[in-house]
Amino acid sequence: MDKFLFLVGEGFKNMWRFKLTTLTSVFSIFMTLYLIGLLFTIGENSQKLIIYLRSKYKIEVFFKQAVTDQQARQLTEQIQKIPGVRSATAIVRANAAQIFKRQFGEDILTILDANPLPASCVVNISRTQNTAVDISPIIDTIRQIDGVDEINFQGRLINRIEKYYDLLFKAIVGAAVIVLLVTVSIISNTIKLTVYVRADLVKALKLVGASNMFIKFPFIIDGVLQGLMGAVLASAALYGTITAGNHLIANITNRIRISSDIYTISFWLISVAVLIGMIGASRASAKMLK
Amino acid sequence: MIALENVSYSYKKWVGVTDVNLRIERGEFTYIIGPTGSGKTTLMRLIYMDLFPEKGRVLINGFDTNRVKNRHIPRIRKNIGMIFQSYNLLSDRNLFQNVALPLHVLGMKRSEIKEIVSEMLNEVGLYGKEEHYPDELSGGEQQRACVARALVKQPEIILADEPTGNLDPITAYDLLELLDTINGEGTAVFMASHNYTLIRDRGHRMVQIQEGKLRA
Repeated sequence: MDKFLFLVGEGFKNMWRFKLTTLTSVFSIFMTLYLIGLLFTIGENSQKLIIYLRSKYKIEVFFKQAVTDQQARQLTEQIQKIPGVRSATAIVRANAAQIFKRQFGEDILTILDANPLPASCVVNISRTQNTAVDISPIIDTIRQIDGVDEINFQGRLINRIEKYYDLLFKAIVGAAVIVLLVTVSIISNTIKLTVYVRADLVKALKLVGASNMFIKFPFIIDGVLQGLMGAVLASAALYGTITAGNHLIANITNRIRISSDIYTISFWLISVAVLIGMIGASRASAKMLK
Repeated sequence: MIALENVSYSYKKWVGVTDVNLRIERGEFTYIIGPTGSGKTTLMRLIYMDLFPEKGRVLINGFDTNRVKNRHIPRIRKNIGMIFQSYNLLSDRNLFQNVALPLHVLGMKRSEIKEIVSEMLNEVGLYGKEEHYPDELSGGEQQRACVARALVKQPEIILADEPTGNLDPITAYDLLELLDTINGEGTAVFMASHNYTLIRDRGHRMVQIQEGKLRA
């Protein structure tokens, strides 16, 4: 027990004795983990945004003049059964006239003495989270239905949104992978640095007959503590950034808000940093013992 | 206790030691004398298993360099106390912490450590300087601190590599007296030196080494 307490104490004392190296290491860990947390938050929020946008995609289907209201309802039911369609709402001719009046302020029956507006339906497509929306098969199927005259949809807009989201998603994943690799490298190298500056301690311990585990243990404690401090600081900074970001956005609009599960992100950041700290310190001290 | 049998070791660019045969018995005091670069330090490093012979073998308390496993080396070193010319004290720890280090390795209780270290510092004449850091001690005091660190775990062997190299003649003489006292208590001492005049009249066995070979 005395030995264990001594070793844990050594881990803490080492950090204090080599304040500057420890500070450098903690700062590097903090910066890279903060960047990872930020990328994760951007990724999470952009996904929420795309899901919201996808829920707004809609297709307007106009039926031929000869199609009666009854037939329009039947055709709408038929459209609703197409794979990828979430809902389809029939707009009978009378409803179309009301919509026209609402939108243009004129009663078309008064102007023309008849209702020239065809029956139609509004189609909402299924929400997807991870796969890009492709509406062309739905459009093709609808077009083949007898009685359909014209289809209006925001094809170019949808394609553009999906394309940009796809690019953004790839960029975030790519950046996260690069930052993660850099993080692993920085953390293990800065911890190596903290081990190398204590070469005299390793030498002295070897000479007095300390086992490899005895020599390594304080360095592992040190590495874990550095990882922990860097990750806690990164989590706090991330929380601060999200709060400040929301405050700024709130001054502009109340509709958008950065959402983030800071506890889950913090848990992962701390776990990764502690693990890398432990492995980095263990490997660096093992090299010194060779 | 220590036996070197036909031991040879060479570095990349020069020869360390060649075909060395040497025995050091329990409680014996042996000087190894030779000029700088003659192979004294190589012999010391071979004994505390920092180097392994290319030919021959080194036997220490039954452990054979040809068979020893890495995990056995700390156990072997626990029975060896080492003193160096350059002291090798940790500059960021005070005298007490430096001397106590081997006892922490042995897993002793804090109360025991305090008692033993105080006794040892008293024995080497450094009592009252526990809180001093190495740079606050003179060369002679640092070397005595090094002796205290080597002795505190009560080893069976003391290896002293040029321990008087950085000391003035009076301090060097005091150190040799201290090593004699330690040897008188039963600890074997194997000391390397290039200063023949300092050790010639001490009445201990003397072995000469030149260009890596032992001379009769």
